[in-house]
Order: sequence, then structure tokens, then C-alpha cells
Amino acid sequence: MRWEIVRTTALQAVVLVVMLSAARPEQAQDAKAPYSSMAPIEQYLMADRNAEIALARSAAPESISRDAEIWVFGKHGYEIAAKGKNGFVCIVERSWMAPFDDPEFLNPDQRLPLCLNPPGARSHLPLTFKTTELALAGLSRTQIFDSMKAAFDKKILPLPEPGAMCHMMSKQQYFGRKYGNADPHLMFWFPKTDDTFWGAGVPGSPVYVHQYSPQPITEFIISVSKWSDGTAAPTE
Amino acid sequence: MAREIVRTNALRSFALVVVLCAAWQAYAQDAKGPYPSMAPLEQYLMADRDAEIALARSAAPEAISRDADVLVLGRHGYETAVKGTNGFVCAVERAWMGPFDGDGADNFWNPKVRGPVCFNPPAARSVLPLTYKRTEMILAGKSKAQIIDVLKAAYEKKELPPLEPGAMSYMMSKDQYLTDNGDHHWVAHLMFYTPLMDGAVWGADLPRSPVMLNPQFSGAPEPIDVFMVPTRRWSDGTAASVM
Repeated sequence: MRWEIVRTTALQAVVLVVMLSAARPEQAQDAKAPYSSMAPIEQYLMADRNAEIALARSAAPESISRDAEIWVFGKHGYEIAAKGKNGFVCIVERSWMAPFDDPEFLNPDQRLPLCLNPPGARSHLPLTFKTTELALAGLSRTQIFDSMKAAFDKKILPLPEPGAMCHMMSKQQYFGRKYGNADPHLMFWFPKTDDTFWGAGVPGSPVYVHQYSPQPITEFIISVSKWSDGTAAPTE
Repeated sequence: MAREIVRTNALRSFALVVVLCAAWQAYAQDAKGPYPSMAPLEQYLMADRDAEIALARSAAPEAISRDADVLVLGRHGYETAVKGTNGFVCAVERAWMGPFDGDGADNFWNPKVRGPVCFNPPAARSVLPLTYKRTEMILAGKSKAQIIDVLKAAYEKKELPPLEPGAMSYMMSKDQYLTDNGDHHWVAHLMFYTPLMDGAVWGADLPRSPVMLNPQFSGAPEPIDVFMVPTRRWSDGTAASVM
């Protein structure tokens, strides 16, 4: 899961997060907590467009990302910065793609590059775009939560297609204060299913799980040994 | 099942294998080499049933395999040695679950091969039947060409189940014996079964990609692709070699 470090030592925290994700996020509205409200939009933007393109591409090995479509984040949402030809889409997501109960849900420093394969691009990017649209419209966490729930209830947003997955292997990825750069990993999306479907989240399993809420989506995460540039990732 | 040593510098040969697999039907013949034909059945069996159960379970972390069904290979095919409760099924596959032709096919009759694998519930329902089917025909003394014909017919008649979404398996046993070379095992890995597709959809076999396409089935004849992702540890928790 992209907001948890996929490390064995963090497994219990992952389980806790999954449990908490089932709740609505009212408690996260504590105004005294950091990142409890949206920062000025400029803090979420990257001034250097080319830097954002490079960061997006760094989510996957160059052999994949060089032919991918690239989207960059602007004041009015995401826009295409480079056309691709292999069906992959690379993008730098912002903090509001984190679980709603994540204390760093609105941390403007988060930079989450991922390269989605074609089924992932078709079925997961609409979720990214919709959430971003709501965040930019100034909705609160609770309002975004409710809007996303309604969008899935009304089938306005698609469920993951078979084979939907992404690479998240950028050494420059930043998940916030708690998890830093985390690990390079792959993520696979399914319509909501049990953790046990892939044997996730049990001792010794290389598969971790994030149950989205309110989105009826299950995300399985597999840590890999190298960053996209071929260098070794830290030992688990 | 990973029957090949699939190192980064061999990825290009994988693409070639996939191409070759699509054309094998016209000329499939038993491979020449050290294992040109089936060895006596006893060589494929494990005399110690408990050892086979333990080996099968070693494919996945104990938290998964302890509650799995466990199969063992007998003279008449696989039989359930242990009933499980979590829907996973662990078994030790033999060499004939590798590709019929192309890269790795010279291992097809290797009686030393032991491929422990634990299938998740969708794979147990939709991939494991292929193991049963191939094994049944092998034990009946069928040739590669005959097996291929039977499998093709079985798919055409829908006698084999369609692949279920999310089918995957664990292959993380340090004691796997997949090749006569080196230390006999490959890397700890997971396998993901999909309908036939371009491996590029997962970014497979491209430089530095952590995803590889296994030529185990690849439409020759089973209409299934098998993607592999190495894991960082063996099932016993020890660090696995890094690719």
C-alpha cells in the first residue's frame, strides 16, 4: 500500500490502518493537528514542470516509463505533459490519495509517483482525478469521503479492471514524515476482496494489503528489491 | 512454475521463448539431452510422504501453508494428504509442469525436479486442474504430443475450468529443485496467472523490471500467461538472493 511502508516491522501498523480505514474520518478534523486542512495550493504544485515529469517517470524502470503517457498536476487538476505509446501512464499523486484517516492526508510535501499499466490507467486514474478535483474544490476530508462513496455507489467511478497494477519504484517518492521513501513496490488492484485472497498480511507473507474505504477496492502490495534506477533498496 | 533460471541477462531469451511456444505444436518432440524420455516412475515419487508434505508446505510462509490442503504424488496421481481450512492448496509439482518445448523443455522429464507451490483459492480452482490433468496423462504413459492434443481438446470442450481472476501462487521454498545447475533453486517468487496477453501490459521482461513472464503455459497449449515477481525472502524468512 502506498501509504504504509511495506516493511515487516510495519505490518502491525498496516493492520491498524486498515481497521481504522473502515471508519469515517471525522476524528481527523482536529484543527490542532498538522495537515488538518488544505495548505495553499502552491505548496502542492511543483514549480518545475520538467522535474515533475522526471519524478513521474522515475516510478518505473526507464524501459517502461520512457514510452508512458505523463500527467502533471496543475492548479486546475492533472493535465497531459507527454503523450505515450505503451499504454502506461505515469503520474505524481498528492497526499489526498492517502487513506482518509491518514494524519498526513493533506501534507503538501508528499510526492507519490506511480506508473499504471493500461488496465490500471483505465480503471484507477479516474479515482485519482476525481479525488483531486474534490480536493481542489476545497472540500473537507469528510466531504471528499462522502462524495467518493456516492460516486462508487452510483457506479460513476469504475472498479479495477482485471490485471490492474502499477509500479511504485521511485527512490524519490516521499510518503511523508512517518514513512519517508518507504520501499519500491508493485501494487495490484481488485474489486473489494478479503485480505486472505492473496495470503496478505500474515506473518512472513510478502504480500501486504490496503483495504480502501469508502472505495470498494482492495490493493495488494509486493515489495521489490530494487529501485527503478536499478540500485538496491534497503534491506527489509 | 519457474523451471528456468531467469536472470536479468536472460530476459531477452524469454521473449524468444514465448514466440517459439506459439509455434511448437507442429513439431513438438521430446527434447534431446540428459532427459529425453520419462524415467521409471519411482524416480519421480518421494518415498517419504511426510517429507513431501513438508516440502509442499515450504512453498509459502507457515502462516499460509499450515492451514492449506496438502497434496502428495502417488502412483496414480495426486492425492490429498492433509485437509486444510484456508482454501490454499500446496503441492510439489514435477518437471512435466514446465514448458513442452523451447527454453527449459530439456528438463521436462528430469525426475529430480521438485517444484513446491501453494495456490491461492482461485488458482486452486482454476490452475491446479492443469496439474492434475498433465500428471494424469504422464502417469498414463502419454507422449508430449499426445498430452498437448488432449489439453487442446479439453479446452475446446470446456472440460477445464476457466481461469479465475486473482489466481496466484507462492513459490518461496528454499528447497525447490528446479534445475540441475548451481544450487538447483531459482529465486523465491510469486506467480500470477492471467489470460493470454502481451507481457508488456505488466512491463514484463523489460530491463530492470521486477516482473517476468514465465513460458510455462503461454498458450502452448494452455491459454494462460504466468507472470512472476521475485520476493525478498524465502518462506522461512531468510533473505533470498536478489536479481
